[in-house]
Amino acid sequence: MRELFPMKQVNGFIFSLLLTVIALSVYFFDMSFAMGLTILIVTAFIQAAVQLVVFMHAGESKDKHAIYANTIYGVVIAVLTILGSLLAMVWGYN
Amino acid sequence: MKHDSNLPLEYSTETNEMNILGFWIFLGAEIMLFATLFTTYFVYVDRGVGNGPAGSEIFELTPVMIETILLLTSSFTIGLAVHAMRINRVKAMIGFMIVTLLLGAGFISLEVYEFIHYYHEGATLQTSGFTAILLTTLGTHGAHVTLGLFWGIMIIIQTLRNGLNARTANKSFIFSLYWHFLDVMWIFIFSFIYLKGMM
Repeated sequence: MRELFPMKQVNGFIFSLLLTVIALSVYFFDMSFAMGLTILIVTAFIQAAVQLVVFMHAGESKDKHAIYANTIYGVVIAVLTILGSLLAMVWGYN
Repeated sequence: MKHDSNLPLEYSTETNEMNILGFWIFLGAEIMLFATLFTTYFVYVDRGVGNGPAGSEIFELTPVMIETILLLTSSFTIGLAVHAMRINRVKAMIGFMIVTLLLGAGFISLEVYEFIHYYHEGATLQTSGFTAILLTTLGTHGAHVTLGLFWGIMIIIQTLRNGLNARTANKSFIFSLYWHFLDVMWIFIFSFIYLKGMM
């Protein structure tokens, strides 16, 4: 039975629950918007990294450089699209 | 092409390796799909509310929290399924996959409940720019999970019928990638749509 629950994945799961609880603190504690958003950004991206490395085995095959490059490229384009659109359509009109 | 015989079964042929790499590239495109949805959401979230309800008026923490726990746990169990597959424990692998799909079904049920709740609160696709993109984003994620449920059932049937071989192991592994990806997307929805909206 024990061999079915590798420590690495159990720890990854506990860590991801912990990150969720930390993210939840923005709901229960009174804090500034900037502070809350910072916590959310940090916990969400760490959470994503845990999934990628621990659960998706991103770094295990010989294609790992292609896999990481592809994923980082996707994330960079995603962030640029979001921030660029906000810059053009929201932040400029306050 | 020379092959390392120490590699897990799902990587054991050239085709398998290409399938996995190809699926990662597909996931890259999926990141962009969700990025466009998030872009529209962030643009509309404060300025597209109109006469409709704002996020803080319709979001409920409890169902969202349960959905998050269900999906996080299902991501853990599909990880255990892949681990069981690698140590050649087919029964345990199938067991973990069934648990994963049940958790996924629980997630979808709650999401349906949530959508009904939004409907009663007067937040429909036609209400405002904000509710339209909110429901489109949640719906796109939910549709992915629903597709995943059917896909997972097919994988279980094929594995039961053919046993573990290079093909079924490869398909199961790719399914696990898909499922983890949906969990990651949910984390972003949970953080930047729900928690940010209720902050």
